[in-house]
Amino acid sequence: MALLPLPDPSPTAALVRSSVLISQGAEAKVYRTTLHTGGGPVLLKYRFSKQYRHATLDATLTRARVAGEARALVRCLRCGVSVPGLRFVDVANGALGIEWVDGKSVRSLLGSGDEGERYREEDEDIAPAEDEDLFVGYKVPKDALMVMVGTEIAKMHLADIIHGDLTTSNMMLRHPSSTMNPLGVHQLVLIDFGLAYTSTLAEDKAVDLYVLERAFASTHPESEPLFSSVLDAYKRKMGKEWPAIGRKLEDVRLRGRKRSMVG
Amino acid sequence: MPTRSPLKRPDRPYLALGLEGSANKLGAGVIRHEIDGSSTVLSNVRHTYITPPGEGFLPRDTAVHHRQWALKVIEDAVTTSGVGMHDLDCICYTKGPGMGAPLQSVALVARTLSLLFDKPLVGVNHCVGHIEMGREITGARNPVVLYVSGGNTQVIAYSRQCYRIFGETLDIAVGNCLDRFARVINLSNDPSPGYNIEQEAKKGKRLIPLPYATKGMDVSLSGILTATEALTHDKRYRPDDPPESGAEEDYFTSADLCFSLQETIFAMLVEITERAMAHIGSKEVLIVGGVGCNMRLQEMMAIMAEERGGTVFATDERFCIDNGIMIAQAGLLSYRMGFQTPITKSTCTQRFRTDEVHVAWRA
Amino acid sequence: MESFAYPHFSSIAHVALFDRVTNAGEIRARIVRASSLEGDEGDAEREAVSFAFIDARLVTSVLHIQTAITQALLAAAQNTLRTKTVHSEVIWALNPSNNITEALRRYGVTDDSTALFVIRIESLASIDVRSRMSAVVEGTLVPMSALAGLTDWVAVKKYNKLGGDPYIKEIQNDPAHEHHLIDNIVVSFVAMKSVSG
Repeated sequence: MALLPLPDPSPTAALVRSSVLISQGAEAKVYRTTLHTGGGPVLLKYRFSKQYRHATLDATLTRARVAGEARALVRCLRCGVSVPGLRFVDVANGALGIEWVDGKSVRSLLGSGDEGERYREEDEDIAPAEDEDLFVGYKVPKDALMVMVGTEIAKMHLADIIHGDLTTSNMMLRHPSSTMNPLGVHQLVLIDFGLAYTSTLAEDKAVDLYVLERAFASTHPESEPLFSSVLDAYKRKMGKEWPAIGRKLEDVRLRGRKRSMVG
Repeated sequence: MPTRSPLKRPDRPYLALGLEGSANKLGAGVIRHEIDGSSTVLSNVRHTYITPPGEGFLPRDTAVHHRQWALKVIEDAVTTSGVGMHDLDCICYTKGPGMGAPLQSVALVARTLSLLFDKPLVGVNHCVGHIEMGREITGARNPVVLYVSGGNTQVIAYSRQCYRIFGETLDIAVGNCLDRFARVINLSNDPSPGYNIEQEAKKGKRLIPLPYATKGMDVSLSGILTATEALTHDKRYRPDDPPESGAEEDYFTSADLCFSLQETIFAMLVEITERAMAHIGSKEVLIVGGVGCNMRLQEMMAIMAEERGGTVFATDERFCIDNGIMIAQAGLLSYRMGFQTPITKSTCTQRFRTDEVHVAWRA
Repeated sequence: MESFAYPHFSSIAHVALFDRVTNAGEIRARIVRASSLEGDEGDAEREAVSFAFIDARLVTSVLHIQTAITQALLAAAQNTLRTKTVHSEVIWALNPSNNITEALRRYGVTDDSTALFVIRIESLASIDVRSRMSAVVEGTLVPMSALAGLTDWVAVKKYNKLGGDPYIKEIQNDPAHEHHLIDNIVVSFVAMKSVSG
């Protein structure tokens, strides 16, 4: 069959060129794209190569991370953790296509204070904001939202997945009227599993929670009652697994995550 | 963005002597803070306790070395500076972190000088010393700091009068890892094992796969050391290039292992540094600590910084490697903010976290 | 029939869903025979059956098919095809394991297939695909939405080894939820096949 003489040696490069950049982080650029006509939007996460490291090491790491993120997402899906599904994987070029989530980040729903953390997040949106009308009608009380956050993280931890970078920017509330949301209810979706790994250790789960606690404290003024709602919901969902994690969380808080080092 | 500094311009020049001995380097230096806000290094003297190849330094022997050399090193520093002991505003010493016995031997000298010349003492956090000296020498304003030495591996950023640790090693320090591998392959400890690893690595060509362990902004290094050590027992391992080896022959040398170890570990360090820079939105990075002298690390960091449109700041061995002047610098900043260490509290501590220090002199 | 453009692959995929197919066995036999025929006659016959024929029972959504096409096109572009053609690669991509024979047996046309997806991937130049499809398949062309009544969810769970998943068991009394989740999982399986296992 005389098929497909391809003009572009790298279709993924062509795909990236035709996509809209939405954010740029330390390791990846994130685009909104479409893979084909008759399909919905897809989030394309492109891990560009790092010139500072040895080319062989760079290629190995990129492959391992794309594969790792894909596996973590599928593992979450199978365990009922609400995460976006996969749509495209090009491991050779460091590209991952992920289901687009129509919604708003928990960070923006909570509204971050002006003062407080003076650091700005680099992963802020670059593209102009989506049609704001889409987001009208997120009539979810803060407390209910926090319960959703705690429950979803617990489901993830029960599946022995450690997110590695829990922040309020890495969780989204999917709009009930979104076409991609056939369940028709508010759905909290965890995103960005670039640093995720699997572990059964209470310590790792506690550190995951601690990272989120710090993120709440640095991003949202008067975050304490909010985070305690998260934790309450988490406890309920974790059941008998909670006490061990709770103890570790106390430890981690006391030492500020880190051990003391000898000079 | 930066608010006015709480540190006022000095109404007259201030002078401090700094004494450092937390590991195998004994250092003394005199610094002067000028009325225009600049600083002058008047002297910076160091003597290193060097052990035979294959051996590390033990606390007791290191303390003996520091006691033997303390007077000579301090005398040199004061003489070179051209100022007298009576002209000093304060005597700064390393309170920690570090090895207990060497720290105590130097603190004892500091206390004695304080009583002899009736000068106030200022206890200094060793890590903060590195950061402040690095900032002073390079002019970096608010950098993300990678602090890499024999005892520490930390990614630090300033926030609200505290040097917050964003990431660090979960087990051994990077310098410790390199030094221990240098001992495995019997490299000289003169001038330092890390320096000799760097020279060996320049001859290496083959990248041998090693574990790569970053966890968020933290790294783990002990597994890499174990894996690299294990490779010296591999049947493909040759200490040196065989004189007439066929091109197809599958082998690697100790130089290849040094190369692979550096490439892997430094890639991890640059990665977590970049993650911290992205997190806080900083464009500057400062490398301090003994391993910071390594030119390959500096080069990799520079490429990363350039890709981000940022800048890397590093110092040479005079300031990277442990020294007395950095203790004088950090101590004098803190003294000018009204801080002193009463003699009854002039203790040392092996464990003293960077983020425990109140950085009163910055906004 | 629907046509989906894959612009960055400079390709177009024509996808038709046939129900009430009566000649599945004959189609399968033609494909087998075409592969061994020689000369001009062989070329003509191979061209006549140059489609991916997929049993619709194991397909969970059009996206499932579209995703397999994407990954097959990527493999073709990167010279990493595991099978002979991009059409057979689509079938291979749908099967969770790497076994080509198993993929064809489970996802390809079998003698008892009654509903088929027929796919033709082309560079952008268009040919009259629909009539060529109809020349091979005896059955009723139905809209994609008809798939909802064709998917055999029990078989999908079995072949994707999802039957034992505790969470899927937990939601089995809520078919809408279950089907949506299983679809998302199997689509993800297809997307990540190159890095799984």
